[in-house]
Amino acid sequence: MIEVHNLTFSYEKNKQILHGLTFSVFSGEIFGFLGPNGSGKSTTQKILTGILQGYGGEVHLFNQVLDNKSKELYEKIGVLFEFPYLYTNLSALDNLNYFASFYPPEQRRDVYELLEVLEFKKDYIKKPVSSYSKGMRQRVSMARALINNPQFLFLDEPTSGLDPTGAVLFRDIIGQEREKGTTIFLTTHNMMDADLLCDRVAFIADGEIKAVDAPKKLKEKNSNHEVEIDYLYQRKRSTITLEMQELKAGIPFAHDEIISIHSKEPTLEDIFIQYIGRGLS
Amino acid sequence: MRHGFLSLLRKDFKLMLSSKFLLLVFGSLILYSCYINFFYANLDQDIYPVYLYDPLGTESEVSSDVIQVSSISELQTVCADGYSVGIDVSGGEPEIVMITSKIESIDRYRAAYALMLLSSDDSSMAEIVGENNREMKNRREITCEFLFFELAAVGFLGLASTLFKEKQMGVIRVHGIIPISKTAFILSKLILFLLVDLLFACLITIINLGFFDGISVLPDVLLQSGILSMIMVLVGFFCAVRLPDFKQFSLLYLVLAIFISTPVFLAGQTGIDWVWINYHPMYHLFMGMKNAYFATPSVRIVYYIVSAVAIMLLFLIVYRALIREMAKEG
Repeated sequence: MIEVHNLTFSYEKNKQILHGLTFSVFSGEIFGFLGPNGSGKSTTQKILTGILQGYGGEVHLFNQVLDNKSKELYEKIGVLFEFPYLYTNLSALDNLNYFASFYPPEQRRDVYELLEVLEFKKDYIKKPVSSYSKGMRQRVSMARALINNPQFLFLDEPTSGLDPTGAVLFRDIIGQEREKGTTIFLTTHNMMDADLLCDRVAFIADGEIKAVDAPKKLKEKNSNHEVEIDYLYQRKRSTITLEMQELKAGIPFAHDEIISIHSKEPTLEDIFIQYIGRGLS
Repeated sequence: MRHGFLSLLRKDFKLMLSSKFLLLVFGSLILYSCYINFFYANLDQDIYPVYLYDPLGTESEVSSDVIQVSSISELQTVCADGYSVGIDVSGGEPEIVMITSKIESIDRYRAAYALMLLSSDDSSMAEIVGENNREMKNRREITCEFLFFELAAVGFLGLASTLFKEKQMGVIRVHGIIPISKTAFILSKLILFLLVDLLFACLITIINLGFFDGISVLPDVLLQSGILSMIMVLVGFFCAVRLPDFKQFSLLYLVLAIFISTPVFLAGQTGIDWVWINYHPMYHLFMGMKNAYFATPSVRIVYYIVSAVAIMLLFLIVYRALIREMAKEG
């Protein structure tokens, strides 16, 4: 779906932002793009959406060289920006009808239905966006990204500004899009989103890709294969760490009751720090 | 595509309404028309009084507008106001006595007018190039000034205010990822503001010149308004896209209004004669407008070629500035 080969970009002379990125996004997958601030995530997304020109290397989208003048390209993609960019003097309905009008009628989704899926408060549909909370604006932004039934969805921090219920809803919607066959390029700081949603993730830092793989495989590769067991023995509570191999023949120590067994598998954030040398913030 | 462009036009019109731009335009029209009709049209300044000292009676065919005086000292006294013009014929030949206005061209008009009154010879009479009475001359002059100001300053400000709103809301960059061209984004604003400006030009001309006089100059007034409007809208677009906030824009607006438009009005409406003003593009646009109002339209092909090239160049500059704005960080 996306083929990027040796992608370079500089905003100014001697200030290279991207140093030869190479990666692919396969059809129907959710590809997470993780990196700290200033790592080149947004620049990469802007290049992929045709907003930034003047890059080096090759970018293929839908098996064609990226052409930012192609109307067809923009009919096939949907973009959710980090901030909810909307006409605040217009209502959610007017905003969505306005943006929908640029797509072929047979491709457009029903605005009311879409807002219902996004659990948007009905009595606000015709009120100006200026009266909405951040979460409501984010819902309208998501509706705008989905209004054209995109084949490829670019999502930049989709759950930022949402309460936990909203974040769960957004993850469900992103999951549903994947089931429909939509390919998703997810840029995020949120490791939980990446871990729960992404089929593969890329770690980017200083304009270079440090690792690309499925979150599960990354965790496996970097795991020390240990478990932590919390147990009671002779009324005394203790914790022990064992190699998983040691559990093959059963629990190898005296105990009266096992309270819990936890895998000591690293989180995606641990792996990220391991590769990049620092956290996301 | 056509439907998408209509959506852009509708959205821009809504933004225009919410920014109260149309209210400002309508308010200006009422204010200008009241000023023209209740004050400026009836402004009546007497023509220069001409005094003659002719002790030998040399001048036999003198206009009845000339006032005779009996001594050279009396002539000097009456001319001390800096406005009146005196003619001393005591030496046989007419000599002009007057306090200079410090503007050479005006002094020349005063002297020429005074000498014309001495002779009944038709060959020295001023050529009549139109049939404007003083009131109609005033109306054409001030309507032209107001229209020029409205298009150059108010339209420019109106476009910037709507574009700054879009910038603040961040929606400009959304247009970078939807299937509509950047050209259409610029054109929709250009067309909308052009239509409002042309409507304003139409109304102010007909209201203040009267229906028949207004209609007779309207085609050329609309042509000149169209040129000025497109240039100013594109300049406003560029400034609004490039400048970070409305405060900086307001400063630029002041500079533009005071230091650019003022010399143009001075050179175009008074006798002030500056050679350098010929290199001022706004001066030519103003004179184009003035000529249109006085029914002596400019036929200089160079003027139209330069205007067309300027509009095309500005469009390209705006296009590039828009692409840069779309790629900016959030």
